[in-house]
Amino acid sequence: MPPFKEEQIIIIAPGSQTTLAQYGLPESLTPARVRVRSRLFPAEKEGEWEPFKVRRKETKQILQEEKDELREMQKSLGEKEEDVTYEEDFVTEEGAVWPIVEGKIMDWSCFFALMTHVFNALNPPFHTPILLVAQPCWTPKEQEKITQFFFEKFKMPAFTLMDSAKATSWAFGKENALVVDVGYGKADVTAITEFCVHQTGRMVSLTDCGGEAMTRRLHEVLKSKGFTRDMAEQLKRNPICEILPQGTPLPGSGMGDGAPDTVMNPAAVASTGAIAEVESGAAIGNVPRGPGLGTEVGEEQPMEDDNEGVLDVASIVAGGKMNEYLARKEKEKQDRIVAKKKGATDASAAAAKPVKLPNSKREHATFVYEDHALLDALKNNLSIEDSAKARAVLDEGPQKRQAGAESEPASAIETNGTAGWGTARNGTIRREITVGTERFQAASGGILEYLADAIHRTISAVEDTGKRGALWENLIVVGNGSAIRGFKEALMSVLQGKYLISPSSATIFTSEIPSGISTPTGTGTSTPQPQLGPHGGGGSSVNPLLLAATTAQLPHSSPGNPVPNALNQHSHTSHGQAPTTIRFSKFPEYFPEWKDSGTEEAVFLGAQVAAKVVFIADQGLNKGYMTRPDYNEQGPPGIHYFAM
Amino acid sequence: MASLMSSLNAPSAAEYAGDEVSAIVLDPGYSTVRAGFAGEDVPKSVVPTYYGGLEPPGGATQVLYGENAIHNPIPHLHIKNPMSQDGIVEDWDAAWKLWEYSLTSRLLGAKPTPAIRNGLNDPVDGDVMDVDMEELDDLEKPLVDNPLLMTEPAWNPVKWREKSLEAAMEEWGTPGFYLQRSGVLAAFSAGKPTALVIDIGASQLSVSPVVDGMILKKSVRKSPLAGNWISQQIRLMFAQSQPPVPLTPHYMVTSKVPVDAGAPSNATYKKYEIPPTDSFRRLEEERVLTEFKESVVTTWYHEFGRLSTSSQGMTNEERAKAAPGARPFEMPDGWNQIFQVERFKVIEGMFDHEGAYTDAENRAPKLEHTIPNLIIASLNSVDVDTRPALLANVVLVGGSTLITHLHERVKRELEAAYPNVRVRLHAPGNPVERKFASWIGGSILASLGTFHQMWISRKEYEEHGAGLVEKRCK
Repeated sequence: MPPFKEEQIIIIAPGSQTTLAQYGLPESLTPARVRVRSRLFPAEKEGEWEPFKVRRKETKQILQEEKDELREMQKSLGEKEEDVTYEEDFVTEEGAVWPIVEGKIMDWSCFFALMTHVFNALNPPFHTPILLVAQPCWTPKEQEKITQFFFEKFKMPAFTLMDSAKATSWAFGKENALVVDVGYGKADVTAITEFCVHQTGRMVSLTDCGGEAMTRRLHEVLKSKGFTRDMAEQLKRNPICEILPQGTPLPGSGMGDGAPDTVMNPAAVASTGAIAEVESGAAIGNVPRGPGLGTEVGEEQPMEDDNEGVLDVASIVAGGKMNEYLARKEKEKQDRIVAKKKGATDASAAAAKPVKLPNSKREHATFVYEDHALLDALKNNLSIEDSAKARAVLDEGPQKRQAGAESEPASAIETNGTAGWGTARNGTIRREITVGTERFQAASGGILEYLADAIHRTISAVEDTGKRGALWENLIVVGNGSAIRGFKEALMSVLQGKYLISPSSATIFTSEIPSGISTPTGTGTSTPQPQLGPHGGGGSSVNPLLLAATTAQLPHSSPGNPVPNALNQHSHTSHGQAPTTIRFSKFPEYFPEWKDSGTEEAVFLGAQVAAKVVFIADQGLNKGYMTRPDYNEQGPPGIHYFAM
Repeated sequence: MASLMSSLNAPSAAEYAGDEVSAIVLDPGYSTVRAGFAGEDVPKSVVPTYYGGLEPPGGATQVLYGENAIHNPIPHLHIKNPMSQDGIVEDWDAAWKLWEYSLTSRLLGAKPTPAIRNGLNDPVDGDVMDVDMEELDDLEKPLVDNPLLMTEPAWNPVKWREKSLEAAMEEWGTPGFYLQRSGVLAAFSAGKPTALVIDIGASQLSVSPVVDGMILKKSVRKSPLAGNWISQQIRLMFAQSQPPVPLTPHYMVTSKVPVDAGAPSNATYKKYEIPPTDSFRRLEEERVLTEFKESVVTTWYHEFGRLSTSSQGMTNEERAKAAPGARPFEMPDGWNQIFQVERFKVIEGMFDHEGAYTDAENRAPKLEHTIPNLIIASLNSVDVDTRPALLANVVLVGGSTLITHLHERVKRELEAAYPNVRVRLHAPGNPVERKFASWIGGSILASLGTFHQMWISRKEYEEHGAGLVEKRCK
């Protein structure tokens, strides 16, 4: 009998943004059931942590003196202070501490508290083995520290650590794979041959290569338009933000130089809604009120100064001009409704037109922004009733709530606030913002080239040159940083363009000439040049016959049609160099639950598979996990004999 | 045991009280620094010895370590190496910091700042706290828990040996220290107490006779015909080809287009406002050359002898030209060509000083620097009785020995030089074992129980000073 049962196993995969966890393995492996934002809030007492922001519940009516009096009274009555004066805020992230930064554990006390929080959220009984997915940058010393904490805090019977890259390769079921894990602050590039991780040459914690760098880049290009960081972050998560393959011209820019030259005032667009509405309003001569170009500028004139940041409503709130702003906003909203009613047909016609184009062809697109900063500002500055009212006015409603392209699986339980912005939050304020071609520039800061170079270096560091080809043919890109639309395709286009080795036109002749007869030297000018057909185009493409000769099979495409690199499915053997083919590894199709959620979190699937194998199928024969007696005997350093 | 556990009973609290010490093995080389825990089969931390100095004009300079930092084409990044061409330390401070990085980045992790220093507990009202700062300093040293075994080349000068001991004790706070010649460790990695170790690294080719675990220091011979020299040969070959072969590193190319062999490349180049430095370019070119070495370069080991010799009315060079298996090579910008006799010629100089590529600046290597002559010179200085034992245990290690068929050629040359002695060449088939042989030997040595008796303890160091290293680590 196996020592553990499937429903007893705990899997935890900590990440710098989201920690995934699950208690019990289902029959069919699913995406993680528990998703926790990897952050905690410092409690009043140093060294203690709270899963939610706790703030003092203060009402404006009570004066400071009265409050003090009240507190005195409570104290004398022996009442607990917290009951009266504290409130948990389930939404805000203000003042949160993120213990994991770029995969490294920066705040151990907070990290342990987070693990405890996750463990308690799973609420297991005693007899539960734990598999923890380890970040590549954790040093052996740190792994020992974690092992010690887990054994001494949770007192579980068995524990193991699994390298995140290895877990990913298990999920894909590949013995040779190059795993690129694009996280939030960093990316890890790992070569795996025969299920073994290559520590030498492994690119651990490539900074400025994750989602955070792309947000920063978006913020950089959109800063002049009044975007805040949070807006850029949400734009990145929206499907309208896309990374186009190398060399794709931007829509509307003609030459693809990436300089959007539109006359639209984005602030105006943002505050009045979608472009379609502006256009339709203008069409029927009823200009919507709002600041900026293309709208009727009326009584708002005096406020124009602070309106530079119409997008940044939070600062207005904090600046105390809330009431004026609210009144104006209310008016706008009404106007818009009127305008909408009047031009309903026009608007729909105008709106329908751009929708038909794919996102990559459209010059502008709109997304719904959830303004957390504003919500926090409201909470901090206004009374509850006022803020509720203001919220109602400012919320531009979920008329078109985002299709949850990036939203979490519905089954996920969220134990500390929300796990992602994709799902609507309670009481958030939504506003529509239109962006131009800047939304295609998330990776224009050179991330892809940097990552591609890291991939090349990692594979080049694999000592066994014969294995490199297999690695290039089994690229796995995971991590939520890669979830951004078009990321993988763009990365592939960079790799194909830079590193793919084409069959050399020189080899076709030497391989046909019998040995013993002198062949032209490699550098000699006497090397006969192959006669390329009409498709040759100045020798800029590979002769398909040459490819056929070197791969010993005929290409599927017709000879008149040069084989594009992207479709190059044949590997030719004459080269000692790699790669001759670059391909993504295919995600196995026998995990139906994973079909909709995407493969970004495949590491968790691999961890599940591993847990099943290590704790149940293998029954501990191969020492895949450390038991409590093992720990008592060997101490924390013993984990290195067991960790995978 | 597991079946006794129930999910309803809490496990009894048993305390762990072991105190196993894990020694750290540090094997610094010219191109990489290898570091890891003793007892493991591969070093966990392999860090390039090249490091970056970011020196923007008028700005603050910054030193960057590690693979991730030095391959980034940013302006004003100068690539440096603290080692000299002899394979010994040139810039001590830089080398020491780099080695420290190799230990802390992947093995030990940064020590957490003690609570008193992390700024959270700074006295608000200017209270001066009474804490022994020196004691805290000790806690912050990276190696307080781990004894250290360092490797060194046989020709390491005394001042660096003493300095290693001193710095390991003073700056890293290690409780025990030992210095061992890399040749001895390479022999250990092959499981041989007596061996003739031929180590071809990046900067140096060395032949070290080891007898019963002791290196015969006077018989060690070294020469610069190693990895860097081969790179230089390839560069010369590229330059002397007709037309010259363009060497374009990856960072300059955005995308390439396939072109015919020998045709000029047709690539899109990346534009840099401020181009990266020359030293950076050289480092990146070296990556291309490494790829060339791996995929094209091979050793001529035909039974007819060296490339320059001729028999049966045909020179071997002509034979090499006629031999099948010309290898194509494609540059990062798409330029490609096949290499036939050049594949053999770039390495021939290691064995035959007349076969090397030369130009005005790069003279032909000296006869005594070639591998066969180095081995003969080394063996000639050894007692005549031990020669057969050494020749029966030739160990070939080092990253540059991974060039195809190099071990066959070495064996052939040895057999030609000593026709009446049984020559056995041990060259590990696993490239990792060959590349990291000295480290692996160190890992074996430092995990033995006897290592405890070998090392210089902190107490001994405090008593006798740094001069002790000359007495203890022979």
